[in-house]
Amino acid sequence: MPLAVKADHLTKRYRVLRNRPMTLRESLLRRLTGKAAGQDHVLALDNVTFSIEQGQIVGIVGHNGAGKSTLLRLLCGLGRPTSGRVTSNGMVNGLLELGTGFHPDLTGRQNIMTTGILNGLRHSEVVKRQDAIIAFAELESFIDLPVRTYSSGMYLRLAFAAAMEFDPSILIIDEVLTVGDERFQQKCLERIQTFRARGKTLIVTSHDAGLIQSLCDQVLVLEEGRVVVQGDPKSALTCYHDLMRERTNRRASLVSSKAVLPHLLNAQGSRQGTQEATIASVRLISRGKEIVEPLSKGQDLTIELAIELHVAFPDLACTVGIFSETHVKCFEAVISSMKTTFGAVQHHSLLQCKIESLPLLPGTYFVNVGLFPTDWSFVYDFHWQMHPFTLISSETPGMNAAGVVSLQTEWAVTSIPANAFRSASSM
Amino acid sequence: MIYSADLIWHLVQRDFQLSHIGSFLGVGWRILLPLAQLALLVLVFGSIVPLDIPDYPAFIYSALLPWLWFNSTLGSSGFLFLGNRDLLRRPNFSPIVLIVANMISTLITFLVSLPLLFFLLAWYERPVSGAVVLFPLILLVQGVLIFGLSLIIATYNVFYRDIAHFVSIILPMLFFITPVFYRPMAEVEYSSWFQLNPMTALVRAYRAVFFHGAMPEWSAVLIVAAISLALLWASYTAYRNRLPDIIDIL
Repeated sequence: MPLAVKADHLTKRYRVLRNRPMTLRESLLRRLTGKAAGQDHVLALDNVTFSIEQGQIVGIVGHNGAGKSTLLRLLCGLGRPTSGRVTSNGMVNGLLELGTGFHPDLTGRQNIMTTGILNGLRHSEVVKRQDAIIAFAELESFIDLPVRTYSSGMYLRLAFAAAMEFDPSILIIDEVLTVGDERFQQKCLERIQTFRARGKTLIVTSHDAGLIQSLCDQVLVLEEGRVVVQGDPKSALTCYHDLMRERTNRRASLVSSKAVLPHLLNAQGSRQGTQEATIASVRLISRGKEIVEPLSKGQDLTIELAIELHVAFPDLACTVGIFSETHVKCFEAVISSMKTTFGAVQHHSLLQCKIESLPLLPGTYFVNVGLFPTDWSFVYDFHWQMHPFTLISSETPGMNAAGVVSLQTEWAVTSIPANAFRSASSM
Repeated sequence: MIYSADLIWHLVQRDFQLSHIGSFLGVGWRILLPLAQLALLVLVFGSIVPLDIPDYPAFIYSALLPWLWFNSTLGSSGFLFLGNRDLLRRPNFSPIVLIVANMISTLITFLVSLPLLFFLLAWYERPVSGAVVLFPLILLVQGVLIFGLSLIIATYNVFYRDIAHFVSIILPMLFFITPVFYRPMAEVEYSSWFQLNPMTALVRAYRAVFFHGAMPEWSAVLIVAAISLALLWASYTAYRNRLPDIIDIL
């Protein structure tokens, strides 16, 4: 496959000025007093080299500040690298940040026109494709309203639909697939697959490791401005998570003097995190009391987390998941901001998650819970395989079900005459 | 090239749409604003403090229109890059087209007022001569001047926001030292400091071809053309060097 994008020893250094925007007076003073040398630099990208083949979907992961956005901007041809170069083969388009790219006072239709013309199309060609974009974005009744009246979901839909329809060779999407409802996200993913099938290249970033793993052919892990790994999604993401653990440990050693760091002995499973915020206990409750015996199918389950903050945090992120013995994720709720979901987090709080009836097959499961800072850059407290529960069978005799979910099924067998059978089977 | 032309034309339309959203008169304002300014000047310097210039409205209007092109283009240059972040953050976009689009948008204001100028000239029975065909040439020289100034203002205002404020102080001052609504005394007219203002030579050239039906002073126009080209080169070089930083800052 020919190459789509090639980054060759890419380095980007930003100048950090103390207060920006700098005024003319400051600039003149600096020149007169010869203080120009006193500037700070931040190395956003450090000698990054990689190449991407055409027809691939490549994910870029890295915690906040790892250089993802800088890299995407340079790949889009925005700004000049301090050293090194980017070569791309074909038209590049980018959905860089949500909220930029459209003019708020112009209507959706006018913004589509701007986007189309910037993608090198003639006026008439844009008019031709306009309806397809509006239909895909499902914005028929809003398209002649100013974009500033749109919700963020509508904005995203329009941006995505326009970017896809104007058909660049290389599309770069920064962290946008995570917005919008699930149905539309599914529609986008399908569209992305056809995009790839036509030999186009897609570069995405996301905090959602699951999405990256299922979508991408290749994943690039950035850490402190360097590419740590470029490889298949599974091993790259493992590496990414290892890095997260390493960062957690590093931070834990820094904060241990302030925070309580009880190296808890666990009956089973493992626990990691800086313990600045802890999940002091996890109780699994069913029918009003903590479970001791296996649950039977259809029984309710409440997961209760006692959260304790040792340092005051304005906000936290939290995950609550149920995993099978073989580590299959059956269910995971990701709360990326507890403050917006539940209100400000107190020093001691109880978080309850009630499941009316567990739609799971018999077996042993683990409740894995975690607390994280909102940028997901490390772990406060994560309980892995520490809280098991068992579900026992109550299935139809003589039948074994396998898989993840337990569906409510009804079976029936009746006999029919032979001629009716033939017509029924030919249908 | 076709792509750039399409893009520029689209941006001009966009500018029109943006500046007339929600206004009743819409594009009509583009004709009304110069007229209002003309009315004010005629009132003040025709009746209140009379300057005794014959055919005064036509005298002013032949110089006011080019002045307003200069004034409104430079006045809006400061925020051309800052105010169009949405465009500057797209791949394949060259910010310089914003300068051109803005110039064309304001030039259209100039051109749609031309019929009114000809009407005034005819009304006062001014002599019309073949010199009028030189109008596009003077327009071109002024275009180069405006382009260079506009580019340098837009570029440096990204780094030093003082520039736009400075320009908004300078422009009204410049209006009074440019002979738009008066005829300077002869000894002032030919003094070098008065000629330093490049708009002086241009305004006099426009007035020569429209109002007097005569040839412009070639030497003055040529000097302005040379200065404008030098300025264009300097500002384009500055823009080229600063472009990556502009994108980083925005």
